[in-house]
Amino acid sequence: MMGKLLTADFLKIKRKGLWFLTLLGPIGVVALQMVNYGVRKDYLLQQSDDDWGYFLLNIHSFTPLAIVLGIAILTSFMASIENETNAWKQLIALPVSKLSVYLSKFTVLAILLFLSSTLLMIFTLSYGLFLNLGEPVPYLELAKFSYFPALAALPILALQLWIASVCHNQGIPITVGIFGVIFAYSSYVLPDWMIWKWPSLMNQWDEPIINVMLGVGIGILLYIVGMIDFARRDVK
Amino acid sequence: MSAILRAEWFKLHKSKMVPIILAGPVIGLFIGLSANLEDNMSGVPINEWYIALFSMNLTYALLFLPLITGVFASLICRYEHQSGGWKQLLALPVTRGKVFIAKYVLIMLLVMAMQLLYLCSVFAVGLIKGYTDPFPMEIVWKSIMGGWVATLPLVALQLWMSIMFKSFAAPFAVNVVFTLPSIFAINSERIGPYYPWAQPFSMMYIGGSTDDVFFVPWEQLLTVVGGGFILFFLGGYFYFQRKAI
Repeated sequence: MMGKLLTADFLKIKRKGLWFLTLLGPIGVVALQMVNYGVRKDYLLQQSDDDWGYFLLNIHSFTPLAIVLGIAILTSFMASIENETNAWKQLIALPVSKLSVYLSKFTVLAILLFLSSTLLMIFTLSYGLFLNLGEPVPYLELAKFSYFPALAALPILALQLWIASVCHNQGIPITVGIFGVIFAYSSYVLPDWMIWKWPSLMNQWDEPIINVMLGVGIGILLYIVGMIDFARRDVK
Repeated sequence: MSAILRAEWFKLHKSKMVPIILAGPVIGLFIGLSANLEDNMSGVPINEWYIALFSMNLTYALLFLPLITGVFASLICRYEHQSGGWKQLLALPVTRGKVFIAKYVLIMLLVMAMQLLYLCSVFAVGLIKGYTDPFPMEIVWKSIMGGWVATLPLVALQLWMSIMFKSFAAPFAVNVVFTLPSIFAINSERIGPYYPWAQPFSMMYIGGSTDDVFFVPWEQLLTVVGGGFILFFLGGYFYFQRKAI
């Protein structure tokens, strides 16, 4: 059942711009650094002895913002596909459980998110090599800066999908997304328990892995809460 | 015209826009109370209000204001996109041009209301923190009005996009794509003045020159904000005239 639902959901997002946005996110993040390094490369290379590390930090200054906004856009898109034509009713009328409908939506979004992270890693590596930042290339750090923010953002994905699928008015999840990006932008003043701080990989112990573990744990928890709430609501 | 405006206003009443307008001052309070620039700047002889305004305006004008205008624009087209609302609305004895202008005017009024509420939140932050310096009324008004003027072209583009796309997410995606680069644009003296999405920040930035009515020179205001407004407004206006509904 799950396989068929996933196929159906992947069919539904065709030609809606979701794949394009998944591609645009990482391109945008790297393109901003292309402008940055294109304009003042010499100055930026002087800033630190570890050119690769500094480059990754620059990339990472935009990743959380792109992830938070990307999640808000993709989840709202996903819900709009059903909302616009009142298709929730028809979807639920099929011999599928509401829980698996929700799980399928979440899985598709999570796949898009990780595709985005993989692309981010590839683009970052390519532009880094193009800039000739020197040997050795820190592949481990590169993978960390690409995948950790996405893993730490899982609670945001779960929360946004929850709000988007239970609100008929998509203005509400979008506004929550805007709040999220403001929080992510000012994450250095936020307390550690705010989920919007986690993609920035900052915490008081300076251990990014804590954010990842929290992200996965709380992400699953929020996902379950959202799923149960979705299943209990009437479909309008 | 006033009848269309009133009709739009009634529709808006049921659109849950009050909590969204309140988002402005809430964000203002959050930034104002969480920032602690005072510690870094203690000893510098400067009006305390300026410190609060610096940190609050940065995040508010750079990200929040451009992004939320898009939500207003989508919200105001929401009823029309649901189950053939455009057909019902345009079957009335109204012209498409008037409908477009009425929607635009109403969004700008909403943005104005939010700017005024933001002003209240600036004031509230000062009261909570116990500022004793005189309130720089003139500077604050310049900043609030300037931010409002700077959203004129952005709202026009967002209204265009909201009429074009049925979903909330698509116009918002367009908005995000243009708004995020302004974080970079404001750091560049060459690009910043010409980037329309960076204008809310420039117009609300209280460090600008205070000789003119606003914090940016008139040439920049007229060419970038005015030019952008004309471009996007006419684009949206003519798109709506020819749109098949």
